[in-house]
Amino acid sequence: MSGIERRTIEIPEICRVEGHSAVTVDISDGRVANVQLEVFEGTRFFERIVLGHQYEEMPHITSRVCAICSTGHVLAAVRAIENIFEFKPSVHTNLCRQLMHLGMIIESHATHICALALPDFLKTPDLLDFATKHQKEFEVWTKLRNLGASIQTIIGGRPFHPVNLHVGGLSRYPLEQDLMPLLRILDESRTYALHLCDLLSGLTLPIERTAEACFLAVVPDGPGYGYFGEVVRASDGWEAPVANYKEYLNERVVAYSHAKISTHLGGKPFMVGAMARLFFFADRLGKTARSVFDKSPLASGKACSLWNNLAQAIEILEAIEQSIVFVEQLAAGGFESEGATHLDGLVKAGRGVGAVECPRGTLYHYYELDEKGKIVAADMITPSAQNTAQIELDICTVVEQQMALDPALLQSSLETLVRAYDPCNTCATHMVQIRSVKAK
Amino acid sequence: MTTTTEQKTLPCIAVESLTGCAGELLVILDNLEQLLPFVRIVSFPFAQSKNECGPVDITFVEGSVSQPHDIEKLKRIRSNSRWLIAIGNCAVWGCVQAGACSRCHVEDMLHAVYGDESPIKALPARPLSDFVHVDAMLSGCPINATQFLSVTASLLKDHLPYITHKPVCLECKLRENPCVLIEKNLPCLGPVTAAGCGALCPSLGAACYGCWGPCQSPQMAAMATILQEKGYQLDEVLSRLQTFGAPDTLFARMKPDAEVA
Repeated sequence: MSGIERRTIEIPEICRVEGHSAVTVDISDGRVANVQLEVFEGTRFFERIVLGHQYEEMPHITSRVCAICSTGHVLAAVRAIENIFEFKPSVHTNLCRQLMHLGMIIESHATHICALALPDFLKTPDLLDFATKHQKEFEVWTKLRNLGASIQTIIGGRPFHPVNLHVGGLSRYPLEQDLMPLLRILDESRTYALHLCDLLSGLTLPIERTAEACFLAVVPDGPGYGYFGEVVRASDGWEAPVANYKEYLNERVVAYSHAKISTHLGGKPFMVGAMARLFFFADRLGKTARSVFDKSPLASGKACSLWNNLAQAIEILEAIEQSIVFVEQLAAGGFESEGATHLDGLVKAGRGVGAVECPRGTLYHYYELDEKGKIVAADMITPSAQNTAQIELDICTVVEQQMALDPALLQSSLETLVRAYDPCNTCATHMVQIRSVKAK
Repeated sequence: MTTTTEQKTLPCIAVESLTGCAGELLVILDNLEQLLPFVRIVSFPFAQSKNECGPVDITFVEGSVSQPHDIEKLKRIRSNSRWLIAIGNCAVWGCVQAGACSRCHVEDMLHAVYGDESPIKALPARPLSDFVHVDAMLSGCPINATQFLSVTASLLKDHLPYITHKPVCLECKLRENPCVLIEKNLPCLGPVTAAGCGALCPSLGAACYGCWGPCQSPQMAAMATILQEKGYQLDEVLSRLQTFGAPDTLFARMKPDAEVA
C-alpha cells in the first residue's frame, strides 16, 4: 500500500436507542484519528424550563426529561429538595420509593435488553420478525416489562411520568389489596429473569475487548444492593460526597453534539451503570443473583462493555427478589398514619443535590431555592452524558482492533457496542447550565 | 400471529419521533401485541433497524419541532403519509419546552448554554400543526393506551376518529371524587385541562397539573381568579397554567398587568 490511507466510518443514525445520535470515526494511516458520538436530538433546556417554578412542581416537570427513567428523575429531584429542607422521609415513604425505583429498573432494563440490544444477536431486522421467530424472548420481554409497569402504576399512578410521588411523601399510600397481586407475578417472573441471564451469558460477542474502564457508582445506603446514597466511589479508590459533583464531574461543551461530555478527575473517561454497580457491590446481591454473577463472564473481570447487557439482566433478577421483600413489608402495614405531607414550616432558601442510580447510571439533580421555595437555579447531569467519553474511547479501541474487518461488519459491531451502554439521548440533551439567564 | 405473506397486504404504519421524551414510543411498544396482527410496521427507528421510507398509510409522530432538522423530517413524513397523527403533548402543544419558551427567548438559552459562537440551531418548541397539516391530534403525557388503540382502529376502518377535549373535571365527577380544588384548596387545573387520563391525580387526592394540555375553550381567566381567591400569587398561577404548553393566545386577556378578579 502506498501513501497514507484515510477513511471515515459514518453511522448517520443509530436505530434502537432512545433519542437520536450518530457516530463518525476518522481513520488515518492505520490509526484512529478522531471519534465523535454526536447527539442530534433537539436541545431541550430543562434547567431553564424549571426556573421560576415552585419546588412542588419539580417531580412533574423533570420527569418529562425522559419517559423510561422518569421515576429516576422524580426521585433525584425529590431527594435534592428534601436535602435543602433537611427533611427525612418516613420509613413507609422510603419503602414505597424503593419499590417504585425497582419497578423502573425492571421495566427499563427489560425493554433495553429485549427490544434494543437483543435483535443484534438474534439477527431480527424488525419487530414482526422478533415477535414471530423468537416467541420465548418476546414473552420474556412482555412479562418483565408488564411487571415493571404494574409496580410503577400501583405506587406511582401510571407506568411512567408518575403522579403520586411528591417532595415529602406520597399523595396516596398503596393498600394491602393493591400490593398482594404483585407477589404472584414477582414469583413467576424469576424464571423470565433467569432465562435472560442464561441467554446473555451464552452469547458470542462481536467484540472481545474494549478499553479499560474506570467505574463510578453511588455507595448504596444500608447494607443491601441499592440505588440511593450520598457518596460516590470510583474504581481507582477515590470517594466523594455526591454534593460535590461539580468538583469531580468536569462537563464541557463539544461543537459536534447537543450533549455535554463529562470526565472524571484528570480528564479521565469513566463508565456508570449496571456494570459499574456490580463491579463494586456484587457482594451485596442476594443468593440467587449472586450465584448467577459468580458463574458469569462479569466475575472474570475481563474488560468488555458489551457485558453491560448481562449486568442489567442480573439487576432485574435482584430487583425481583428485593421487590418481594418490599411488597411483603408494605403489605404487612403497621406504619404510622401519614396525612398530607406537611412541609410548610420547613420550606427555606438553600442549595441541594440529589443523586440516584438510574438504569443507565448515576443521575444528579441540583436545585437552588429562594425563601418561598421557588427555583432560582438548577442543574441535571445524566448518566448518558457521563458515559459519552468512555463510549468514544471504546469505539477507538474497537476500530483499531477490527480495522481490517469488512466495513459493514465493523459498523454493526460499533452499533452493538453503543447500544450496550443503553444511551439515552433524550436525557443527554439536557446538559445545560443557564444560571445567567433571568426569567422574564 | 399473521405470516409474512399476509403481512404484505396489511395497512402500513410508521412511528416517528422529533424532539421529546420517547414516552409515546414506549406506549406503542407496550401495545405491540395488539397492533401486529392488523398492521405492517414499516418504520419505527426506536425499536427496529430495518426501516423503509416509502408511502405509509398512517404515521404517528411524537415530539415537538425544536430544531431545523425536525422541520425537514416532518415535511418528509407529511409527504409520505396518507394520515399524519400527532401523538402526545409535545406534538400537539409543545409540552414543557413550549411552556418555557413562552416565558423566555430560545436564543438567550442557547447562548447561555453553548456560547455565542455555537453552531447549534435551536428553535422555540412548537406543535406539528404549526408546520404541516395534521389529520388528528391525540394529546397526553403520555398518551392513554386505550385511546391510542381506538384511534388506530378508527383509522384502519378508514375514518378519522372523533377525539373529545372535555375538561378533566368531567372524568373526575364520573369517578365521584371529592373536589380537591374546593375541599382541599389544592391548585387543581382540572377545569381547564383536557381529559383522557381518567382524572388520575385528583383520584389520588392530588391536584391536576395540566399534563394533557388545555381542554376545549378553557376559561383561563376564571381559573386564575379562583386560584388567586385561594391565596395563590398570580405569577405562580400563570406559570402553572403555562407549564404544559398552553399557548399565549389563551392568556391574551390576563397578562400580569391586566386586571384579574
